[in-house]
Amino acid sequence: MMQGPDIGKAIFEHTSDSHVIEWPFGLETHLPTNWVIFGINVSPTKHVIFMIIAACLVFLTIWYAGRQVERRHREGKAPHGFGAAVEAMVLFVRNDVAIANIGHDGEKFAPYILTLFFFILYCNLLGLLPWGATPTGNLAVTGALALTAFVTIEVSGFRALGPRGYLKTIVFVPPGMKGVGAVAMAFIMTPIEIIGKLVKPFALTLRLFANMTAGHFVILALLGLIFIFGSWLVAAGSVAFVTFMMLLELLVAFLQAYIFALLTSVFIGMMQHAH
Amino acid sequence: MPALLLLVQEGEFTPFSINTGLIFWTIVVFGVLLALLWRFGWPAILKTVEDRERRIQQQLEEAERARAEAARLLEEHKRTIASAKAEAQEILARAKAVADKERETLLAKARQEYEQLLERARQEIGAEKEKAIEALRREAVDLSIAAASKLLEAQLDSETNRKLVMEYLAQLEAGRTS
Repeated sequence: MMQGPDIGKAIFEHTSDSHVIEWPFGLETHLPTNWVIFGINVSPTKHVIFMIIAACLVFLTIWYAGRQVERRHREGKAPHGFGAAVEAMVLFVRNDVAIANIGHDGEKFAPYILTLFFFILYCNLLGLLPWGATPTGNLAVTGALALTAFVTIEVSGFRALGPRGYLKTIVFVPPGMKGVGAVAMAFIMTPIEIIGKLVKPFALTLRLFANMTAGHFVILALLGLIFIFGSWLVAAGSVAFVTFMMLLELLVAFLQAYIFALLTSVFIGMMQHAH
Repeated sequence: MPALLLLVQEGEFTPFSINTGLIFWTIVVFGVLLALLWRFGWPAILKTVEDRERRIQQQLEEAERARAEAARLLEEHKRTIASAKAEAQEILARAKAVADKERETLLAKARQEYEQLLERARQEIGAEKEKAIEALRREAVDLSIAAASKLLEAQLDSETNRKLVMEYLAQLEAGRTS
């Protein structure tokens, strides 16, 4: 596969989406390419498949942990083992991410934030497996996730503030201003407020995508050095660096899932308490 | 044909391309996951945790209540013991006072009886003495009379003798009164 020194092309091929899923021993599965709904090509791709795998794993994890925790609770025992580990993460996200940043309404949003965190985490981690792919290293995926965050932020803001209060978050007039000044300020500030609203999901999209893709680029570039130089010495150095990068990627996988969930919570909280 | 498809794909996908279909899929997959977890996943963990939090809170409150109750009981017991001690002290004091009074009266009575006994003994002695003196006097008179009769037999109508007897009698009288 990596015969030629065209490492850039290999890196792009490896990190981009594809209609082909690669398996060990050079086996491949070709996915259908002709699914169209409302004129949009919705053929499943590699990232779709890995997203579904991630979703299934998340569901199994949470469902199994929930069952275990519930059973231990019924028996009047303290949580233990796998259930306790998942519970600790769930509680951390619920208490220190959702409730801490959204406020007293945080419990309502906790399931969404938790799902976001675990789904992104599993997508990130799947990319670290051999033959795996990182759905969160795709702008469409991170964009769609940010879109759900955007909708959640705006809808929750609308419901918390009411139509008038919500309108104030778009047409901003500094308090105490009247007459022409107020109109002028509203005229100037409204585009800024709208941009402010749109920048948040855009930042979420790019941050997750860039972090996941960049890590893979670095790893692949380091591995590419081996094929460019064709030297055992370089190979040893590259492998050492790649191992280190892999550990860093493991950290980044958790960190980015945490940051996405945290920022979404912060944005929801900001809207809830906007005056 | 597969080769052609691959070519198309290579043209189609780069790390920076945005595939509308993938947005659709992401929303569907995420939405389904969210719905499933909302229904079957999170409640199990979150309800359990909340339940446990409630239970622990309850146990803490119960422990606090039990502690307060124990403290209250301890206080009550202390008070009871203190009052019992005071009562015992009081009973002891009263008993001592009663015993003192009893002893006092007993002593007084004993002294009184002793005085009475002494008095009676003295009276009896006096009476006995009186009686003895009376008896002695009668004996003396009898003796005198006997002596007189002997004298009379010897020398009747002797004026001097009569005088002598009278003097003697007067002497006796004087000795008695003295």
